[in-house]
Amino acid sequence: MTFAREFEAPPQVWGVGRVVVGDDVIPWAVSEIDIEDETEIAASHYRSLGLGDGDLVLVVALLSQAIHAVPLEQAAGRVGALYSSADATRFDAFRTASLVRQLEARIVIGVDSEVLTGLADLERDPRDVFSTVHAVVAADADAQARLTDAGIATGRWLRLGPTSAVGIPDQPWLAYDAQRWHVDEDRGELLLTNVADRLTPCDRFRTGIRGTVPEPGRLVLA
Amino acid sequence: MTLDPARRLFSPEIEAMPRAEIEALRDEKLLGDLVPWSYKRSGLIRETWDAAGITPADITSMDDYREKVPFIDKDAIRSYRDRHSDPYGGLLCLDPNDASMKGIFSAIFSTSGTTGDPTPAPYAGRGPSMLVREFWELGCRPGDNFLHCLFTFRGPGIHDTIRGIGATPVFVDHQPADVEQLFRFSLELRPTGWYTLSGPLIMMIEEAATRLGVDLTDVCSSYEGVIFAGEPIGPRARRRVEDWGLELFIQTSLGDVGAATECQEHDGSHMWEDTAYIECLDPEGTAGVADGERGELVSTTLVDKVAPLLRYRSEDLVRVTREACGCGRTHGRVWPLGRKGDEVVVEGVSVLPGDIWGAVESIDETNGLFQVIRPEREADRLRLRVGYATAGTGGLPALRARVEDAVEEAVGLRPEVDLVERDVLLRQGPPHKIPRVTKA
Repeated sequence: MTFAREFEAPPQVWGVGRVVVGDDVIPWAVSEIDIEDETEIAASHYRSLGLGDGDLVLVVALLSQAIHAVPLEQAAGRVGALYSSADATRFDAFRTASLVRQLEARIVIGVDSEVLTGLADLERDPRDVFSTVHAVVAADADAQARLTDAGIATGRWLRLGPTSAVGIPDQPWLAYDAQRWHVDEDRGELLLTNVADRLTPCDRFRTGIRGTVPEPGRLVLA
Repeated sequence: MTLDPARRLFSPEIEAMPRAEIEALRDEKLLGDLVPWSYKRSGLIRETWDAAGITPADITSMDDYREKVPFIDKDAIRSYRDRHSDPYGGLLCLDPNDASMKGIFSAIFSTSGTTGDPTPAPYAGRGPSMLVREFWELGCRPGDNFLHCLFTFRGPGIHDTIRGIGATPVFVDHQPADVEQLFRFSLELRPTGWYTLSGPLIMMIEEAATRLGVDLTDVCSSYEGVIFAGEPIGPRARRRVEDWGLELFIQTSLGDVGAATECQEHDGSHMWEDTAYIECLDPEGTAGVADGERGELVSTTLVDKVAPLLRYRSEDLVRVTREACGCGRTHGRVWPLGRKGDEVVVEGVSVLPGDIWGAVESIDETNGLFQVIRPEREADRLRLRVGYATAGTGGLPALRARVEDAVEEAVGLRPEVDLVERDVLLRQGPPHKIPRVTKA
């Protein structure tokens, strides 16, 4: 059932999210085309993680991360999978645990240290919560270290400016889309330039993330 | 299409449809489509109807529907879920692994989980919801910015809906940690609509504004309206928000088949009868109550073919009227009164959380954060757990006495009050509400 109307001039801006650089929060406008493009990138990451037909990915994120998280959600369908969502907060950690169990998620992406603290509040051992999951993808270094220390196969999701880079478990680098983005470095900081058109352009945008680029499409965090 | 920004209704052909046409549309959708569809595909509906000895062939009129179709409720869904190891409780009508469903069946969202495990809610397709009508009614127009302040687990329907009226979503978390950005984005991007505001968020906004020296009338000056949802709002919280210059539009759940929201008349929340058939029944029986009388809301979807609810007893106590509203809409309106399972009876006196809300909220230190402790419906004492931010000048004993006095004055029963630091209650969120009734 359609409730809306088609406008002669639909809004150029799909939405205003944000890019966080250190302590700075930068409002970031993206277009529908940007979101579609990032969805294609996310689908490629999912294939690397082993998500496919009939699977389910649980995306753990915040609404303020929409310009990064919505492509992760939409990309599930591109590889034949379903998605579900939970908030990346201490209070909502119960939802991550519950949905992993109820929906038999194959991949959980976006688990951060807040979620792990929330699980600890609930006296839930991550080894039990994620025991049936093929791969957990952490959203920060602390969570990745804690999960890895617990013996859980853990990758990494990095919000790199307005795009995402993803590392699969046991792989020392993170993949980004070198067809659409150029990443270089300046004194150890990763700089981002859009190759494909973007509503908000990046020209050697300082990401605040320290790392190196051993080859196009791969980056290693410091 | 160019939509005249001056028009009052977003879809006047639907919103102001004559009642006879509303009912004809309902009959066509329900009897001609949802009934046979659900019986054929929903395990729970088929099991329930088979037990009652009926099939879709027995339901040829709305009288048949009201007289013969058995009810379902949350317990029936949970029971089916447990007996069949089916996370969807027998409601799912589409096979997510069916190739023809690819691109239609896309995601699984979940209920808030305020009272237990969040219930998976299958979602099909994408696109705006019927909330386009509410967002337009707030006064938001094409080209405007719109503050989308919610969570992720409700899915993309809201931001798709914001774009559905030609506006641009601005994403902010419904979290204490993001209130500073809410201020900043409001001041820099000047949104005209805001979805949603809640009791806990009001508290966090006030505290952050005091801490940061922010003038909330400045922050809120661009908004035409804000939708308040999650739980009831007390009179004190309402006054505070109105002092910021915000016009509040109260939204209430419509028996898990949709939502109902106030219009600018603020005289009940509109339930869209082209999307749901709502009955208001005797809470202890099956008979309908008269227009405007208190009853239990029983819902039937007219649009959800993924996991349709038919005659779902919500346990929500409401008043309903089908009288046309002053705004020109012809669809019914609903006033939420409380939850059937929330009633506690002490010394023969029935008490619902709403009966004591204003009393607790009148004590500044509590911010209206409280729970009724209700092991059983009947109790010897009215027991409350009340949150506090600071003990106030007289310390905790004095605070406890003030709460007891206020509640006693409101309901005629002196409560037993357990004071706890407010984070103890807020941690029981989701962030937009807390469980107002608890067993222990």
